[in-house]
Formats: sequence, structure tokens, C-alpha cells
Amino acid sequence: IDELRKLSWSGIPKRVRPVAWKLLSGYLPANVDRRDSTLQRKRKEYFAFVEQYYDSRNDESHQDTYRQIHIDIPRMSPEVLRLQPKVTEIFERILFIWAIRHPASGYVQGINDLVTPFFVVFICEYIEEEEVENFDVSSLPEEVLQNIEADSYWCMSKLLDGIQDNYTFAQPGIQKKVKMLEELVSRIDEQVHRHLDQHEVKYLQFAFRWMNNLLMREVPLRCTIRLWDTYQSEPEGFSHFHLYVCAAFLVRWRKEILEEKDFQELLIFLQNLPTVHWGNEDISVLLAEAYRLKFAFADAPNHYKK
Amino acid sequence: MQKHNQKEHLYKLLVIGDLGVGKTSIIKRYVHQNFSPHYRATIGVDFALKVLNWDAETVVRLQLWDIAGQERFGNMTRVYYREAMGAFIVFDVTRPATFEAVTKWKEDLDSKLILPNGKPVPAVLLANKCDQGIDVLMNNGIKMDQFCKENGFVGWFETSAKENININEASRCLVKHIIASESDPIQSVEPDIIKPHLNSSKIVSCSACFKS
Repeated sequence: IDELRKLSWSGIPKRVRPVAWKLLSGYLPANVDRRDSTLQRKRKEYFAFVEQYYDSRNDESHQDTYRQIHIDIPRMSPEVLRLQPKVTEIFERILFIWAIRHPASGYVQGINDLVTPFFVVFICEYIEEEEVENFDVSSLPEEVLQNIEADSYWCMSKLLDGIQDNYTFAQPGIQKKVKMLEELVSRIDEQVHRHLDQHEVKYLQFAFRWMNNLLMREVPLRCTIRLWDTYQSEPEGFSHFHLYVCAAFLVRWRKEILEEKDFQELLIFLQNLPTVHWGNEDISVLLAEAYRLKFAFADAPNHYKK
Repeated sequence: MQKHNQKEHLYKLLVIGDLGVGKTSIIKRYVHQNFSPHYRATIGVDFALKVLNWDAETVVRLQLWDIAGQERFGNMTRVYYREAMGAFIVFDVTRPATFEAVTKWKEDLDSKLILPNGKPVPAVLLANKCDQGIDVLMNNGIKMDQFCKENGFVGWFETSAKENININEASRCLVKHIIASESDPIQSVEPDIIKPHLNSSKIVSCSACFKS
């Protein structure tokens, strides 16, 4: 598994990604002999939850949760996937069951986005098409869809276990990380930090979403998937390393940031970063820079402090 | 080109209300003149800018802060509210629960934000999605007037981001109250003496702006 982590850090080939992700997330045991039985057991367990809890979605105590999920799902991307009723159904179940099983946070907007990469990657195990976006999900056999649903649920749960305090009351994990990002950027690139400060741009105003949605809103889905190859290979990838990725991401735009001379323009730019055409290469560069920063600034946090 | 004696105002406006009521859609319609039924759920806060040529001498720049509907539970609204000059509180006329949440949003706003003159910030209530024909709450306009009075709204409008109804009008109403409260910081203008300022043929129902 350590070997797999090392190999996966710089990107996983599409063909083996589904199984690699299941291994890296800790969902699938490294031992080959135990894999099938584990999958069977976990899938059964998930559908037992569905059986047990899903009918309660219209109960007084849960209907608010269900309604929020129901409203948010049609507002996700990619468009072609979320408009398929079959997909909507699956996402609603996954999110509702997760929320009910994790009452300390419940459903928080943004968690819905985190299902998508797993779902898309796992579906790619069964389809030939280059682009998932044109694929009619309901053409897959029911059993296959059920497996994808259960696997997505468990992998998403594993991910969320590592960043739980992002979504508990008042979202302390996010507040803390935004503060850490600010502190980090002030050491990495004082000029950018001062520029933002001068124009009264607060990190919370743009970086809240970076933390809450793990940059998913800032880059195209294909880039998120590539990013997650690394996050799952890196210890504390989604929490700790993500911070360095965010710092590298911000500094990546230093030229544009320093050119903007007022609060309005700065914030509009930072909330709409031009990444539409980004691909693997851009993510690789970003990750390499994040890795360098982690090395230079985490392991010697006071080294660059004045 | 700016004229020599042109005045420029910059106002920060909040757009708040429960999730899915159409806050983002209203802002996109107002700022970009378009509509999509599939805007993604706002996370944290989204920012937009609208420039109004208020009159021959005045340009008004509006900073619109689109605050995620779930934020009331997140305890971060205090940070976003800071230095705002006015607010739209939005609900969805097809979902009564979002109307019930209006008073909670208003309380949240007033408890965290007070103008320098000690008054609450002017707030306009928007009854959005009025194109949907399921106007459960709007059948009785008088009740709404009463509701606004009791809860300290300077006015209310039925709006539709989809059909572009009343959004410009609602904004003018709010800006007018802000300008009025600015020019007379001690005694803010009471809603009842605001004169109508309407030249639109579309349905208008703002209690504050219509009364003589």
C-alpha cells in the first residue's frame, strides 16, 4: 500500500483509478483475499442503513435535512449527470444516510459536491466512454448502480472522517484553516498578503469555499479527480496538505492579484478564477509547488518568520 | 466620462434568506441580466457589483453580498454583515417555511448590525418566484403591509428573477431609503412619507413606496 501511495502521488491512470481509490481511502483491504468479502459486507451494511433510515426522511425530525439535500442536488455539477433522475435518487440516499449517521454535523452545503468525484470515478469502471458527461446512468444494471452507490458512500465517509470539524457547528475546522492559510501566505508571499490586506480583502471572503468544497468549485471536475489522487496518497491530504495546495493556488495568481487595484475587482477575480481550461499539467505544477511549500514552511514553521 | 460635480456613493448590500429561495438568481438577473434554473448553491459568500446612474449628479455603486442560505446556522454571518448599509431578505412564495424564516433572518441581522445612528439597517422583503402562480402568502396584501410594519421592513416586493419582475424597483426602493437615512442621520425617514417612485408597467407591490 505504501508503494501504491508513492505511485499514486503523481496521478493514477484512469483504468486502475477505481480500485486504487478504494484502497487508498482504506475502504478496501490491501489483502487481495479479503477484498471481495469486505465489499460484499460493506455493500450489505449500507443498504441495511437505507432500509433502516431512508423512510424517516419525511418525519418531522428529519424533513429539514432531506429538504435541504433535495434542493441542493439539482444545483450541483456536472449538469448532464445531475439532471438524470437516477443519479439524483442515488445522491439523495447517500447524503441523507450520511447526515443521519453523523448528527454532530448533519448535512452541510458543500458535502453534496464531495460525492461526485467518487461517483464519477467508480462509474468509469463500467463504461467505455471517454466522457462520463454524455452517459445515461440508468442504462447500467441495477446491481452495478447499487455497488457504485455503496462504494461512493463509504469512500465519502472515510474522506469526511478526516475533515469532520469542517462541518460541525460554526464550522471550526474551516475557520481555523482559513486563519492558517492567511498566516502561511503572509510568510510565503508577503507582497500578495499585504496587497490583499491593503484593499481590505479578507481571506474568509474567498477561501471559505476553498476549504468547504476542497477547491472543487475553483477547478473543473477532471482536475479535482487528479487532485484527489494525490490527496489520498498524502497523509492527511484532505486536511493538512490541502492547506499548502490552497496557498500555492493563491500565489499562482500573484501577478493578476497585484494588478487589481480595488476591493471589488480583487474579490470578483478571486471568486471567479480563470481555470476553465485547466488540465492535469496545471494540477501537477500546483501540487509540486504545494509540496515544496510544505517542505519549506511546515517542517520549519518559524524559519521564515521575522 | 465623469462630470465634474458628480457624486459617487458606495453601498454594501446584503442578500439573505433561506437556502434555495433564489438569492443568487436575483443578483444574477440584476447584475448580468440573465437567468438559469441551475445556479450552484452558494458557499460562504458570493460577491457582485452593480453600478446605477441614480440621477444626473449621482452614481451609486452597489456591492451585493450573496450569503449562503445555510449560513445562519454557521455563525459566520456577523463577519459578512459588517459595514452593510442595507439588506434584502428573500423568501420563496411557494414554500411557506421560507417565509417563517424571514423573521429569524431579520432578528439575526438586527442583532448583529446597527447603523452609526443607532438604527437598524434598512431592509426590503422580497417575495420571490412570484411567477410560479402558487402565491400562498400573497393573496392578502394588507397582511404583508402589516407584517413589514411589525418587523421593521421599509418595504416589500413580489419578485421573479426568472421573469425579471420588480428587481430593479426593489433595489431603487432600498437605495432610496439608504440615501434618505444617510442625509438625515439622526432622524431616519419613516416609510409612510416616501413618495412613489415608479415608472414601470410591471406589477409593483411595495408597501413603503406606494403609500401617499
